[in-house]
Amino acid sequence: MADNQNSEDEARERENRMEEGSSSTTVGFYALPEGCISNIISLTSPQDACRSLVVSSEFRSAADSDAVWERFLPSDYRDILSRSASAVDFPSKKDLYFHLCDHPILIDDGQKSFALERRSGKKCFMIATNELSIVWGSTPQYWAWRFHPESRFSEVAELLEVCWLEVHGKIETRMLSPRTIYGAYLVFKLAENRRGLDILPAELSVRFAGTEGGDVRSVYLDPQSPRQPYHRNRMTFSQLLRRRFSLLRPPMLEGRQEAQYPQERQDGWLEIEMGEFFNDRGEDGEVEMNLMEVKGGHWKCGLIIQGIEIRPKQIK
Amino acid sequence: MASSSSSLPSPSSSSSSSSSKKLVLRSSDEKHFEVDEAVALQSEMIKQMVEDGFGGDVIPLLNVSSNILSKVIDYCKKHVDFDSKKKMDDRRRWDAEYIDVGVDELYHLIMAANYRNIKGLLDLTCQKVADTIKGKKPKQIRIIFNIKNDVTPEGEQKIRKEHSWAFE
Repeated sequence: MADNQNSEDEARERENRMEEGSSSTTVGFYALPEGCISNIISLTSPQDACRSLVVSSEFRSAADSDAVWERFLPSDYRDILSRSASAVDFPSKKDLYFHLCDHPILIDDGQKSFALERRSGKKCFMIATNELSIVWGSTPQYWAWRFHPESRFSEVAELLEVCWLEVHGKIETRMLSPRTIYGAYLVFKLAENRRGLDILPAELSVRFAGTEGGDVRSVYLDPQSPRQPYHRNRMTFSQLLRRRFSLLRPPMLEGRQEAQYPQERQDGWLEIEMGEFFNDRGEDGEVEMNLMEVKGGHWKCGLIIQGIEIRPKQIK
Repeated sequence: MASSSSSLPSPSSSSSSSSSKKLVLRSSDEKHFEVDEAVALQSEMIKQMVEDGFGGDVIPLLNVSSNILSKVIDYCKKHVDFDSKKKMDDRRRWDAEYIDVGVDELYHLIMAANYRNIKGLLDLTCQKVADTIKGKKPKQIRIIFNIKNDVTPEGEQKIRKEHSWAFE
C-alpha cells in the first residue's frame, strides 16, 4: 500500500520534472537571494508558505520572514489592530497572523471581533448583539441583555418572549476583503426552556443596502424542528435507524438540507447561514443581514444571540 | 537575434532608422548588444548608471550570459512597446508565452532581473515560480527546483506537527 503510494508520487514528480523541463537542471533555487525566495513565497498562499518551511533551510528562513507574512496580513491590519482595546504585540508577523486566526480580537469598543481565515488570510468579523437592531430589543419584558460566560462579547441578547421576531445587522463592505465570497452566519444558542421556535421556519436574507429581492432562506432555528415528524408514513429503513439513534444527534429528516438547519460550531455555539454575497462593492457598499419570523403570530422564547459572523466561504 | 552581434558596433554607425540614443551592453561571455536607451532603462540599475553619467561606453553585465541577456532584452523591448500602447490583454498573453521556459532559464532570468533591478521581469519570473509551487508537496518542490533537503527529520516533524493543517 505504502509502496504503491510512493511509486505514484515518484511518477508524478518525474512527470512534473518533464513538464518543467528540468531533467537536466544544473542550478539550485536555494541559491537565489533570500529576498527573491521570500518574494516568491509571498506570491503563494499561507498554506504553501507553511509547506515551504520544510523544503530547505533557505526556504524555511524566507517562509518565516516578516516580509512574507506582512503580505498575507490584510493591507489595513494596522488600522484594525489600533481599534482594539488591548495591545496586540507579537515578536513576528507570522506569530501575529496565527494568533489572529485562532484568537479573534475585540475591536470598536468590544462591539465587533476581528479574525483571519487561516488558509486565505481574509478578514472575518462578528458583530455583537449590541450593534444589531432588534425589534422590541429595548423592552425588558421581551428581550434580556446579559453576560454569557461562553460569549466573546460582554453581552448577549436573550429572547424572553415575543410574537414578532425581527433582527437586522449591517456591515460596510470596505471593512471586508475585496473580491471575496462571504457568508453571514447567525451565532446563537437555545435555552432549555425554548418555545415556539420549532413551529414555523424563520426567514433569513442577506443583501446589499439599497437593493431589493434576493434569496430568502427558510430555516428552523431549533434543530428539533419541525415539530411534526416529516414523511412519517413513508419512512425508509435508514430513516428508521436515524430516528432510532436520534438521541445521539438531532433527527435527520428526509428532504432536509444541512444548510437549512443550524450546525454546531467548535466553540459550542450553533450557527446558521443567513446568506452569501460576493464583495465587489469596494468602498461604498453596505451589506444588510436580516432575520424574520413574524408570520405565525405565536409566542416564542429561548433564543440566545451572540452575534452575526461574516467570514469567507470555504471554496471546496 | 537581431539585437545580438559579436563585434562592438559603433553607436553612430547604427543602421537603425531610429534617431533615439543607443547603449551597448556586454554579456559575461563578451558579446555586445546595442539597444535603444529606453529599452536599457527598463533596468533600474542601468538607469542609475546613466543618470550618474555612465553612458557613452559599453556597459558590462558581468554575470549575465549572452543567451539570457538577449532574452532579457526581448522582454525590455516588448515592454517599452507595451508601455506606449497600454494593451493589458496583449501584454498578459505575451508575458505568458515569454515565461514558458525551463527551470534553468527561469533561474537565470530571476538572477538577471534581480541584479539589473528590472521590476516587471522580476515580478513575472517570481510569479511563475510561485504558481509552480502552489499546491505542491515539499518533496515535489525540491525535485522540480533542484533543492537539497537540509532540514533534519526532527525539524521537519516539528514543523509538520505545528502546522498540520497545511499538510493535510
